[in-house]
Amino acid sequence: MASTETFPELPLFDLQLQPQDLEAVAETLRSGWLTLGPRTAAFEEAFAAQLGARHAIAVSSCTAALHLAYLAAGVGPGDEVIVPAFTFAATAAAVLYCDATPVFAEIVSRKRPSLDPDDVERSITPRTKAVCAVHYAGYPAAVDRLKVICDKHGIALIEDVAHAPSATLAGRKLGTWGLAGAFSFFSNKVLSVGEGGLLCTDSDEVAAFVRSRRSHAMTSGTWDRHSGRTDTYDVVGLGFNYRLDEPRSALLLSRLQRLEAEIERRRELTLRYRSMLAQVEGIILPFEDTDVPGSSCYVIPIMIDEDGRQAEVSSRMRERGIQTSIFYPSIHRFSAYRERFPDVSLPISELASRTELTLPFYPHMTHEDQDRVVTALAEAVAR
Amino acid sequence: MSDWRVPLTDIAMPEQDVEAVLDCLRSGWLTMGPRTKAFEEALARYVGTPHIVTVSSGTAALHLACQAAALGPGDEVIVPAITFVASASACRYVGAEPVLCDVRSAHDFNVDVEDVARRITSRTRAVIAVHFCGYPANVAALRALCDEHGLVLIEDCAQAIGAHVDASGRQVGTVGELGCFSFFSKKQLCVGEGGMISTADEALDASVRLFRSHAMTSSTWDRHRGHDPAYDVVDIGFNFRLDEPRAALGLSRLQRLDEDIAARRAIARAYRERLAEVPGVELAFDEQAVERASHFAFPVLLAERDTRDRFREELKSNGIQTTWYPALHTFTEYQRFAPADGLPAATEVANRHCALPLSSTMNAADVDVVVDAVHSALAVI
Repeated sequence: MASTETFPELPLFDLQLQPQDLEAVAETLRSGWLTLGPRTAAFEEAFAAQLGARHAIAVSSCTAALHLAYLAAGVGPGDEVIVPAFTFAATAAAVLYCDATPVFAEIVSRKRPSLDPDDVERSITPRTKAVCAVHYAGYPAAVDRLKVICDKHGIALIEDVAHAPSATLAGRKLGTWGLAGAFSFFSNKVLSVGEGGLLCTDSDEVAAFVRSRRSHAMTSGTWDRHSGRTDTYDVVGLGFNYRLDEPRSALLLSRLQRLEAEIERRRELTLRYRSMLAQVEGIILPFEDTDVPGSSCYVIPIMIDEDGRQAEVSSRMRERGIQTSIFYPSIHRFSAYRERFPDVSLPISELASRTELTLPFYPHMTHEDQDRVVTALAEAVAR
Repeated sequence: MSDWRVPLTDIAMPEQDVEAVLDCLRSGWLTMGPRTKAFEEALARYVGTPHIVTVSSGTAALHLACQAAALGPGDEVIVPAITFVASASACRYVGAEPVLCDVRSAHDFNVDVEDVARRITSRTRAVIAVHFCGYPANVAALRALCDEHGLVLIEDCAQAIGAHVDASGRQVGTVGELGCFSFFSKKQLCVGEGGMISTADEALDASVRLFRSHAMTSSTWDRHRGHDPAYDVVDIGFNFRLDEPRAALGLSRLQRLDEDIAARRAIARAYRERLAEVPGVELAFDEQAVERASHFAFPVLLAERDTRDRFREELKSNGIQTTWYPALHTFTEYQRFAPADGLPAATEVANRHCALPLSSTMNAADVDVVVDAVHSALAVI
C-alpha cells in the first residue's frame, strides 16, 4: 500500500487542551524558571497523592522511567528481566540499556492480551532479576498473581503503567503493586504533555536512587543552588539527564485535575463502543465489560478473528478516512530483536500482533463518529 | 536565599515566545511534527551545517553522537577534565572509557591539544572537544590531530552555540564529525530541557535520527499523515525526542539569539574593562577569544582555592550569585579516571575560578553592582 499524505478525518487520538492548561504553561514561561523547580515538585506531590504512592518522580519519558526502574531493581549485566512481547519496544529496550537480557513471556489470550503469570513462572531462572508487567490498553495485568510469584522467587515486580494512570485492580491503583511503576505522558496518552514520564515507588531507597540518577547523580540541582541551599556538588554515580522541565510539569499539573473526569468519560464511551463492537461479526473484543471500571480506557483494541487480514482491513478503514494502528507488533519479531534473540516463539502474541487493530478514540469523540468507525469496521471485516 | 540582587543567570521571555508555545498547544499536536522540522531547518541555517537533529538534552546529543560514531567497549575517548560531567558519561553509556586530559592553563580553560596527543593510545577512537563557557576550543589543531590518527572529533558545544572557531565566522559544531548542543534553561538558546546534534555527514545524521526514536522506521507523525501503520525496529534505540512546544519555543527564541549573544559579549567586555587592572582578580581568555565566544559564563580567577571560596562567600552575602565548575577528576565517580601524571592546569582552573553573573538581560547598572561587590569582597578576603 503506497503511503498517502493525507490527514485522517477520524484520527487515532486527538488532544484538546483547556484555557487553564495554556495559562499554566504561559505563567511558567513568564516566571523565567524552566527547569526542575517548584512546579515539578508540586506535580510530583499531586500525582503521588492521587496514586496513593509514597514517591512520584517526574522524568523525561516512560522509557527513561523503565530504565531507572530496572537499574533501581539492581538489573545489570548477566541478569534477565521477564517482559511481554506484546507491548511497545521500550519495555524490552530498557532492559538492554542495563546490559541485561529481556526474556519474552506469552500473553494469556487474544481475549486477554496481558502477561500470562503461568508463563512468567515457567520463564524464571536463577538469573531472573525482575518481571515487568504491562497494563495493556489501560486494563490491569494480573499483578496480584505476579506479585505473589515475584515475592516467592525474591525478584522485583516492575509495572509498565504507560497506558494506565489511575486504573485499578481490586481497588488498588496500578503502579503501586510492585517495586516501581513507570508512567508515560507521551502526546497520545491518557494524561499527555508531549514527551514525559514518571516513576512511582513506595521505597525511599528506590526514590533516592532514581532522583539521583535522573540528574547525573549530582548531589545538588540548579534549583538548590539558585535558592541558596548549596554551593557546589559531587557526582556519585553514572547518571543521566532524564529531567522533566517546568513548563511540562505545569501542563501536567493542570491536566491532572481533570484526569478522573476524563477517564470516566473514556469509560462511558468505551462501554458504548463495546456494546456496538460486540455485534460485529468476525472480530474478537479483548477484555470484558466488567473490566472497564478498573481500566483507564486508553485505547480500543480489536482482533480480527481471521489471520492475515490486518493490512487489508486497515487500508479499507483508511479509505473511509479512519486511522487505525497496531498496538503492538510483537517485539521479538522486529529485526533488531530477531538478530539478538532468534529462537523466541510466542504463538499467541504473534497472532495478536498479526490481527490487532486499534480504533480511533478520545474523550471528546462523538457518538456519530463512534457509529461511523463501527460501521466501517463491520463492512471492512465483512468485505 | 533566592532573592539575589544579581542572579547568576536570568532569561527574558517576551510574549511572542509565550504565544508560540500556546499556539502549538492549541494545535493539539505535541510530538515531533512540523514545528520540530522547522526548528531543525532554522538551526541548520544558523549553524551553517547540512543536518540538525533536535533531541531531549545535551546529554542525549552526546550519547547519540558516541553511538553514531560507533564507540563501544574497549574504546577510549579523550575528554578534557574541565567540562560538565555529561561529556564523560556519554562515552560510558555506550561502553567506552573516558580518558581525562588537561586544559591549556588557568587562563584558557579549553582542551590542551598537546596533552590530547600525549594520551592517544592504540585504543583511542575519539576526542571530545569542549567549548567551555562559550569560548571556542582549538578545533583546527584537534581536527588535524584526529585526522592524523584516524580519530573521530566530537564537539561538545553545550555552552557555545553561536561561537566562532575562526575569523571567517565558521561556527562551533561544524569542525568535528558531530557537534552536540544544549538548550538547557541556563543556556544562550534555552527551552527548558533540550539539545541538538549537528553533522555534515548523511550517514551520521541518519543514525542519530534513528536512535533518537527507538530505531523505529516510522514515526507517530508519519502514521498520522497516512503512512502505513506497520513499522520495524532495526536496532536498540532510545526516546530522546524533543516535543513540539519546546521546538516552537526554541524557534521563536532563535530569532533573537545573535542579539542575545551580542548583549552577553557587551557585558563580558564591560566586566573585563572594569576588572582588568584590579589587583586580586585575573581575567581568563584573551580578546580574540572574547570576540569569537558566545559567552555562556564569565569566569575570573582568584589567587587560590581558599581565596576563591571566601570571595564567593562575600559576594553571596552581598546578593551576588556566582558559581564554579569542578574538574571531573575531583568527583567521587570520576577519581578513577584521573591519569597518574595528574591534571595540573585543570586542577588549577577548578580551584581558582569563579563565574560572575552573566545574562543577556543584564545592564550597565547590574555590572556596577557586581563590580562594586567584587571590590568590597577583595578588600576583606
